[in-house]
Amino acid sequence: MEKTTLISLEKLNQLRLSDEQRESVLAFFDAQQSRRAELERIDTENVERMVHVMPIMTVVREDVEKKLFTREELQKGAPETVDGYWQVPRLVD
Amino acid sequence: MKIYLAKADAAGKSVALDDMILTKALPTTAGSKMLDGYMSLFDATVVEKLEQAGYSVAGKLNVGEFGFDVTGETSYFGAVKNADGAYVSASAAALDEGEIAAVVTLDVNGAPRRSAAQSGKVFIKPTYGTVSRYGTVPVACSGETVGVMANTSDSVKAVLTAIAGYDCKDGTMHPQSKIDASLRDAKPQKIAFLTGFDTDEAVSAKLSAFKTACESAGVETAQVDGSIFKLASSAWNILMCAELCNNVSRYDGIKYGYRSKEYTTIDELYTNSRTEAFGDELKAAILYGSDVLSTKNYMPVYDKALRVRRVLVEAFGELFAQYDAVVMPACSRLVYGDADVAPYACYEENVYTAPASISGLPAVVCAGVQIVGKAFTDGMLLELAKIAEEGK
Amino acid sequence: MKYETVIGLEVHIELATESKIFCSCSAKFGGEQNDHVCPACCGMPGMLPIVNKHVVDLGMTAGMMLNCHINRTTTFDKKSYYYPDLPCSYQTTQLFAPVAVNGLVDIETSQGKKQIRIKQIHMEEDAGKLVHDDWSDTSLVDFNRTSVPLIEIVSQPDLHSAEEVIAYLERLRSLLRFARVSDCRMEQGSMRCDVNLSVRPEGSNVLGVRTEMKNMNSLSAIERAIEYETARHIDAIENGTEELVQETRRWDDLKGKSFSMRTKENAGDYRYFPDPNIMPVVIDDEWFDSIKATLPELPEVKKARYMGELGLNEYDAQQLCDSRALCDCFEQAYAVCGNAKEAANYLISDCMNMLNKAGLTADQLTLSGAGLGKLIKLVTEGTVSRPNAKKILAALFEQDVDPETYAKDNGYIVSNDTDLLKTVVKAVVASDPKTVADYKAGKEKVLMALFGRCMKELKGNCDPQTLREVLIEEVMKA
Repeated sequence: MEKTTLISLEKLNQLRLSDEQRESVLAFFDAQQSRRAELERIDTENVERMVHVMPIMTVVREDVEKKLFTREELQKGAPETVDGYWQVPRLVD
Repeated sequence: MKIYLAKADAAGKSVALDDMILTKALPTTAGSKMLDGYMSLFDATVVEKLEQAGYSVAGKLNVGEFGFDVTGETSYFGAVKNADGAYVSASAAALDEGEIAAVVTLDVNGAPRRSAAQSGKVFIKPTYGTVSRYGTVPVACSGETVGVMANTSDSVKAVLTAIAGYDCKDGTMHPQSKIDASLRDAKPQKIAFLTGFDTDEAVSAKLSAFKTACESAGVETAQVDGSIFKLASSAWNILMCAELCNNVSRYDGIKYGYRSKEYTTIDELYTNSRTEAFGDELKAAILYGSDVLSTKNYMPVYDKALRVRRVLVEAFGELFAQYDAVVMPACSRLVYGDADVAPYACYEENVYTAPASISGLPAVVCAGVQIVGKAFTDGMLLELAKIAEEGK
Repeated sequence: MKYETVIGLEVHIELATESKIFCSCSAKFGGEQNDHVCPACCGMPGMLPIVNKHVVDLGMTAGMMLNCHINRTTTFDKKSYYYPDLPCSYQTTQLFAPVAVNGLVDIETSQGKKQIRIKQIHMEEDAGKLVHDDWSDTSLVDFNRTSVPLIEIVSQPDLHSAEEVIAYLERLRSLLRFARVSDCRMEQGSMRCDVNLSVRPEGSNVLGVRTEMKNMNSLSAIERAIEYETARHIDAIENGTEELVQETRRWDDLKGKSFSMRTKENAGDYRYFPDPNIMPVVIDDEWFDSIKATLPELPEVKKARYMGELGLNEYDAQQLCDSRALCDCFEQAYAVCGNAKEAANYLISDCMNMLNKAGLTADQLTLSGAGLGKLIKLVTEGTVSRPNAKKILAALFEQDVDPETYAKDNGYIVSNDTDLLKTVVKAVVASDPKTVADYKAGKEKVLMALFGRCMKELKGNCDPQTLREVLIEEVMKA
């Protein structure tokens, strides 16, 4: 992987690495990439993907409203709130 | 090391939780600066079930950041070492102190299994979907399972019986009848030892000792090539990091948790908070997980890993057509020094634990070995653990 | 050169449920900021998504109404991006196996009839709301709308003008309101529309550069936005005024222009993947059939039946068929009284007036159809007079009373006491010899004045025909 690709991944994930960390992460990516090559030994052409390991179906819930907590409880650990809103820097659009 | 202690119960009904399990009374940090001091508004289902069964929660135990490392070394609150200078998990260390009957801990990437093997504890990662994950900090939801560690298989069984059970608040659970069946005792007849996994001599000795114990207990043993299961590691690394990347994206400095002091724009708020609060190992995992889900990599990497998962599940299925369980190491060595917990070591060391993680199968660690069984044979695996206990 | 506009629509509809899609918080519109919120929908760790059955019911209903194929196994996926109105930094939606695919919607414009193909309908969660606080120059986050269930209806690029788009949206709104999927109120955001538009020379089969426009909150704004955007594209192609790029644009209805958006929408990689915490939703035959059985007759089929079988005129039939609530009430009333014309009249004139006065829409009518039917029976049998029937209807509109009991309790029953009737008529006739004389002299219209006075004395509780006969008899005797 190129350093520029890594930098765009950082942006996408709201992270910023130092150059030293980048080198370390790039080496990690390379190692994983070469290990991934092992997977090619397995022919998965006609294998269906397996998202869930157990054959369970969704058990739906009835449409009943229930209030669990108050706004004050939910915002107790908030870094910054105003008037019952969570506050963030102004967004342009 | 950070341990929140509430109370220890003299009657032997005190249980500790690892810091991936949310509690109302004590903070839940997931070993991260991001959640330092985080107070959950609700208890995990396992906490409620423990209390219903008469257990009291004695405290919370430190974990590696979001629980996916080798043995807890990446915790924001520091690693735990034993008297010999080896890395151990806080769970095993707490059990050694003798005040608690068991630790309930989330197995994300095998850390509790490695820890149990090295510290001579018994641990079960039960069949996926038999213990509720409601109220656990989510990391790799398709495979992580709440498990139990204790000094004996009887203690493990007792606590597992207390916490297993259907919960309508977790949509990935089996019906109660299947969960009941999974805990039933059953006598193993024939088990297979998987070959192809390299370990040091100490681990090999444990495997041999267990083989002898099985044979003298009348359990037939065989050797089977298990090389294919070594592929689970890199497939699980893909799935785990992808799910982790998505699950920890909620920690953004807005609603709760750590917020950077340095920001003017929303992007600075996000980036600085996450950059300052997340450790290096976690950052690498997030970036890897994001990369495998990119438009370019989704089909050749992520989707491939999902297909490999099925191949591995089917390979296990073939083994279980002939054997009641398979035995394999849980770790490469019984003592972890600095080099063994170097950055990214967990992606290699999980070669022993990833097969059961990726397939959701039950795995028991006892007397330094790992026994993996068919889904819903948790009770039988604990019978095997008894044989190992007696033989050690 | 002549150009053709090619338009595909993504329509978001908020579903009419009590609770949110994956948690039990209220899904109702309004409420104090962050009052309909729980740990799950404000992004705290630990709660797991549990699918609301009614969301799937309504997703299926929408699919069936738009002639879609229903996927009997439907799954949820996660879509990641950072934005403060998205508390988990991911949205749970459907990419790989949406609830419904391959539908068809009939529309009619001045150019005639046409079918629009539906690519898919998927279920997903809504995002929260940002309020911009000028005082502190910050943005404020409200998660009440977070995880409110939506369906997104994605059309094929089969639309070619603003007129077709409006006809399509009106048709969707009519069908989905009729099937009680949503109230489809654009002004409250329960129906929203993104317009994907490109322009190409007529006859060409290569699509031009496509832009996506958001933020239109009325049909007329959509019309203006399409006209503006079409002109902008043609201008760019013909005169090279700007380079067209594939992007998301925000429509500013006040300025009458579209603007490029900086946000998440242009960020690119959403890293979709299947949600490990939500098992496949399997729709078995029983579930499928139970939804199929609740589907309403299409409005136009109802209208034809009301005109044909029940003999209503076109105007009345159309008025009723604009609202499912009116139709249901009408049909229940008809089942009780067997008089379609009376039922339609009471609903279209009296009930609509009462709704308007109360500031309600026809869909908000809660009048008991059976109650209305009983009332009509009382009127046509002569048990209750028409003026008194209106008073009883007003009471019935407020609450579900039994019309007959209510009429008895309030003295609205027509009296059969002919002695009382004669006494009243005699007194009225005796009190006004001038009018009596006028009537006898041939001014037949003046009888109405006497009739009215008698009716008032009797509090409306008499049979008008009997009263008329007795009155004429007494006048002639006087």
